[in-house]
Amino acid sequence: MSQALKPAAGRGPASFASLMPDAGKIHRLSALLTLLLLIVGFALASQSFFSVNNGLTILLQTSVIGLLGIGMTMVIITGGIDLSVGSVLALAGVGTAMAVKAGVPVGLAMGLGVVIGAACGAVNGLVVTKAKIPPFVATLGMMLMARGLALQLTGAAPISQLGEAFGRLGNGALFRVVELQPNGFPKVIFPGIPYPAILLLVVAAGAAYMLHRRQIGRHIYATGSNEEAARLSGVRVDRTKLYAYVMSGALAGLAGNVLMSRLVTAQPSEGVMYELDAIATAVIGGASLSGGVGTVSGTMIGAFIIGILRNGLNMAGVSAFIQQIVIGAVVIGAVWIDQMRNRR
Amino acid sequence: MAQTPLVEMIGIEKHFGGVRAVDHVSLDLYPGEVVGVLGHNGAGKSCLMRILAGAMLPSAGEIRVNGTPVTFCDPNEARKAGIETIYQTLALADHLDAPSNLFLGRELKTRFGNLDDTRMLEESRKVLARLNPNFKNLSDPVSSLSGGQRQVIAIARAIYFDTKILIMDEPTAALGPSETAMVADLIRQLQAEGIGILLVSHDMHDVFELCNRVVVMNKGSLVGTHDIDAVTKDDVLSLIVKGELPADWSARNLEAAQ
Repeated sequence: MSQALKPAAGRGPASFASLMPDAGKIHRLSALLTLLLLIVGFALASQSFFSVNNGLTILLQTSVIGLLGIGMTMVIITGGIDLSVGSVLALAGVGTAMAVKAGVPVGLAMGLGVVIGAACGAVNGLVVTKAKIPPFVATLGMMLMARGLALQLTGAAPISQLGEAFGRLGNGALFRVVELQPNGFPKVIFPGIPYPAILLLVVAAGAAYMLHRRQIGRHIYATGSNEEAARLSGVRVDRTKLYAYVMSGALAGLAGNVLMSRLVTAQPSEGVMYELDAIATAVIGGASLSGGVGTVSGTMIGAFIIGILRNGLNMAGVSAFIQQIVIGAVVIGAVWIDQMRNRR
Repeated sequence: MAQTPLVEMIGIEKHFGGVRAVDHVSLDLYPGEVVGVLGHNGAGKSCLMRILAGAMLPSAGEIRVNGTPVTFCDPNEARKAGIETIYQTLALADHLDAPSNLFLGRELKTRFGNLDDTRMLEESRKVLARLNPNFKNLSDPVSSLSGGQRQVIAIARAIYFDTKILIMDEPTAALGPSETAMVADLIRQLQAEGIGILLVSHDMHDVFELCNRVVVMNKGSLVGTHDIDAVTKDDVLSLIVKGELPADWSARNLEAAQ
């Protein structure tokens, strides 16, 4: 977990320059505190929660939702929303798997998956900016179309037997130490850092850099803060929005690769309702659905709050239904606390 | 006049469906001149200003800058021609701080294409200090600033760059007396530098104190362009309200001429 929090600390001296913390920082601080409380609470409740193995499991489970959350955060900062990420994830994963089946090398096929995701995002962006369809409706349409296409292409059947190489991204790990025991069975001494976690870290750092150090990032904030003002100031508002949707789509494609690779099977029905998790992630992390506010570091904390809640409740034997109730309450609670603070 | 006008707007029209918001309006502006643009709300003056600022395309007509015909498809192109606008709404992104707003759309960058926030902060400090020496909250989001401070940022943004033509839409509407005086001083200073200013205002006092000329619009049409010395406040009010000068105006002016 300390890994994924690095972007929060590494966002540069600028974010910690002013002595008075702004509302966003307080929000992230309280979210971080919640996260620590959760870890302590679950560690006390269950022996096996606080172990290296479970920590890595959480990293693995959170990476997909984290990738989706980062893309969602960019779109939410522009004042939009992307309901299509769950379906795009499935379509991209299916696309990758079909390419692999057709004999395309795995790396290239995964690149194709990301391109499929980006293309879906581009359609979203164009429908929002050129046809002036509200983002909620535009991406709702894409959610249905991408899911339908994924199911149609596969005949609703999973694509399996994709080979070992296909599973490497989702199941492999860096620095894994395995020793062959005298009885012939391998013994894992150190399970390694899962590739998906490394991918998440790299993407989070890249996205944070892009949002805070690059012009396009500044324009994303400006567009969500006051679209008309941004336009009058010479910001190409349409292009900025398009960029955010393309990034969201591409990251959904990447997340699709990770997820399908982990299962070594492409499931066209995978990723249902993931968009809501991604939105929850961003909102818990302090992003405002009215635009102009949100950070990658906050979203990462949000992703781990959701990931750890799921994992910890599972460990404690709480049913999946109760988990949904808890996570729903957490989302409302996070927004409520934020609003109370802003009203003051 | 032998001098080339900074801006000529010739026969500008803007239609919204059947509504003529701007109906064949011509207007020119010379260096170092302050021209008041007056009229009721909905008379078409804001629309005309938005067309010059590149925020709106005219349905017909021609704009010339320094004698060269131009077409502004977006605000960036107008700004490149040296036309800056201070909007009545100020057009600030509330969640961003003062330097980000000042340089929005024209961010300073380092050699590697990163945002140069340090330099933008320094430059902002300089230009803001010129307008208001007490301006300190440079890293706060502008939503937390007072109306006067926000106005100062909007003005700073318009004068920082190489401005030749400045459009000010009700620049003093949100300001207290001392800040209004500051804006008036600034307008005179810019005027002395040879910048042409179009001042949209409802405040007769400001208009008569600052402007060289007034143009008055009524229901989308231009109903009068007069040197400020040739008219009284009552004459201008009559133009704004009725769209015509009082009946005795020409008689009075003849007398004055004699």
